[in-house]
Amino acid sequence: MAASAPAAHPKTASRLRELVSNQTFVLFLVWIAMVVFFTAANHIFFSSDVAGNILADWGPLMLVATAETFVIISGGIDLSVGAITGLSGVVAAFAMQDMTTAGQGATLTLIVGLLVCIGVGLLVGLINSLLINYARLVPFIATLVTLGAGEGLSIVFTGGAPIGGGPPQAISLSVPWLGPFSTPVLVVVAITIVCWLYLHKAKFGRYTYAFGSNSFATRAAGISTKKQITKIYMLSGLLSGLAGMFFYLRLGSGAPTTGAGLELDAIAAVVIGGAALSGGVGRLSGTIMGALILTTVTSGLIIIGVAPNWKQVVVAVLIALAVSIQALRRGEGKAS
Amino acid sequence: MYNLTSRRAAGALAVAGAATLLLAACSSSSGSSSSSSAASPAGSAAASSAAAPSAGASGSPAAAGASCPSGTTIAFVMGAEADPFFKAMKVGADAEAQAKGVTLVWQGDPSVYSPATQIPIVDKVLATKPSGLVLIPTDPSALQPANDQAVAAGIPVVNVDTHVNDQSKVTSWITGDNNDGGAKAADALATAIGYQSGKSYQVVVGLTSPTATTNTARLAGFKAQLAAKYPGIKIMDVAYSQSQPSVANTNVSNWLTKYPNLNGIFAIDGTNATGAAAALQAKGLTGKVALVGYDAYPQNVALIKSGVFTALIAQDPAQEAKLAIDDLTQVICGKSTAGIQKAVTIPNVVLDKTTSAADLQKYTYVQ
Repeated sequence: MAASAPAAHPKTASRLRELVSNQTFVLFLVWIAMVVFFTAANHIFFSSDVAGNILADWGPLMLVATAETFVIISGGIDLSVGAITGLSGVVAAFAMQDMTTAGQGATLTLIVGLLVCIGVGLLVGLINSLLINYARLVPFIATLVTLGAGEGLSIVFTGGAPIGGGPPQAISLSVPWLGPFSTPVLVVVAITIVCWLYLHKAKFGRYTYAFGSNSFATRAAGISTKKQITKIYMLSGLLSGLAGMFFYLRLGSGAPTTGAGLELDAIAAVVIGGAALSGGVGRLSGTIMGALILTTVTSGLIIIGVAPNWKQVVVAVLIALAVSIQALRRGEGKAS
Repeated sequence: MYNLTSRRAAGALAVAGAATLLLAACSSSSGSSSSSSAASPAGSAAASSAAAPSAGASGSPAAAGASCPSGTTIAFVMGAEADPFFKAMKVGADAEAQAKGVTLVWQGDPSVYSPATQIPIVDKVLATKPSGLVLIPTDPSALQPANDQAVAAGIPVVNVDTHVNDQSKVTSWITGDNNDGGAKAADALATAIGYQSGKSYQVVVGLTSPTATTNTARLAGFKAQLAAKYPGIKIMDVAYSQSQPSVANTNVSNWLTKYPNLNGIFAIDGTNATGAAAALQAKGLTGKVALVGYDAYPQNVALIKSGVFTALIAQDPAQEAKLAIDDLTQVICGKSTAGIQKAVTIPNVVLDKTTSAADLQKYTYVQ
């Protein structure tokens, strides 16, 4: 795409058009414009402290948006990511509460909490893939089922209240120490890099794209679609479970309402990032910018004192803009 | 109060709800038998006279201890079963039903606080012809017809917490005083920041939604008290958490950056309290920025001791339920409305470091 600038015909106009049609680059410009705008409105926005606030929101969103990127590129959708985030956080909170009450050390307790989150995530992901592969539900319905069940169970387990009583060190882990980066955020950055390699450089990623472009041809080529679906939805569950642990560390408790609506933010980040819901198209770099823009808007509007409900309006405009850029690009491709 | 309504609540209901509703219905009907004890311990001497419903002398001021004929059933339709506020209310209702010797049927949507889910539940409950109905209307106008239908069928109705618009047919309305709670929050916050007249102070308020009536009443009480007693305290910002602690956390984290000289935070419900407490701890501002929260969730009560919360304002849902059952049993079994107040407001209580352990325990919402 835009990365390869044709040296033979250095026509500024065409190169410019190519650059403008690169989703990630456009998003980067949009993001810069936002930072400039918010800073102009309130200079305090341009600070490490605000960057830390934004990254604290970006971390969990990036995890579920990465999950959603894989799923959407494969031509599916995962509506259960937010429910998994909430459920895993709650189940882990109970486990960590029990261990802390029993006098276990903080480190061991947090590791167990992390493993519980991963376990819950993988389990729900597995259920999703079983529903799709064997109960023959389309991904939308299969994950709607687990969304409902997951959210319901979170409330049933907790009785509606946040579950605390875990190691008191949890919140201090979420304090930024490397500029605006906290340890959980750095872990998310590392996971994002690994996922990028996995999606764009590995066989798994190529299969995912192939499957999303043409599942029939993929099957005909001898790739096991059932296995691929299982892997994709379990990866999605795993990343969502990690988001549950991220929220736990941030709040020092597991709340049943955590993650409610997160799937919509994740899908928004992926769509703004340039992926097509029909599958086969999308880049993780776009999702990174999409998630960053969404969380920047959230903090920015609070800092400049605009009613937070405007965020939804801004996001709506961004989605419309992003999708129309895609459509324009596709139209151009056909014309040439 | 902790409103669990969420954007995809409908989706959640559609899928998990079908099974959960069945479960919930089963568990409440089976649970009801446990609270129906044959004899009422207090005032058992009057048992014989009350056994014949028509025998009750209508003129006499029916004693609160008037016991009820067996088979007396009080239906209690609340907002959302999962909400700790309503769970605490159920504890009070169960205890009082047992004391009065009536059967309690506890009903409500598992998690969604909405008239759309509540109206069918009221209809179903009325079809079983209970002796009385305690109704927590999730909407003042939408529940009016169901409310009046019960009264028309000869079933006395008491409203608790919220009320229907036209209360002329309602026996009584019992509620926590959210306005008063807001005023008490203002007092607690002013004390914590060492308010002196002539100086100026900055506070922020975290709400859960712009329309929840409990939120607006608390905010109104808070503002009125600031205007009356603490004119130097200025509310810099308000924002909404949509019942999510993580959203409240984002709001407060950014406020702490935006207002380096912030003096205090009023977190108007349980979710905001949780989110704000975590934000203060993460930024190392515990004790430096005063935090007054609402709702006595166990986790937040524990944070009073460590100084994260200056104070928590708690309601007394168990007491509300007790008074509601008392009023109804008097009407049903005592055949008298003498002494029943049309509207009762129970003041909110302030929990802080000086509160005794016994009181902390008493007001902490059960889980």
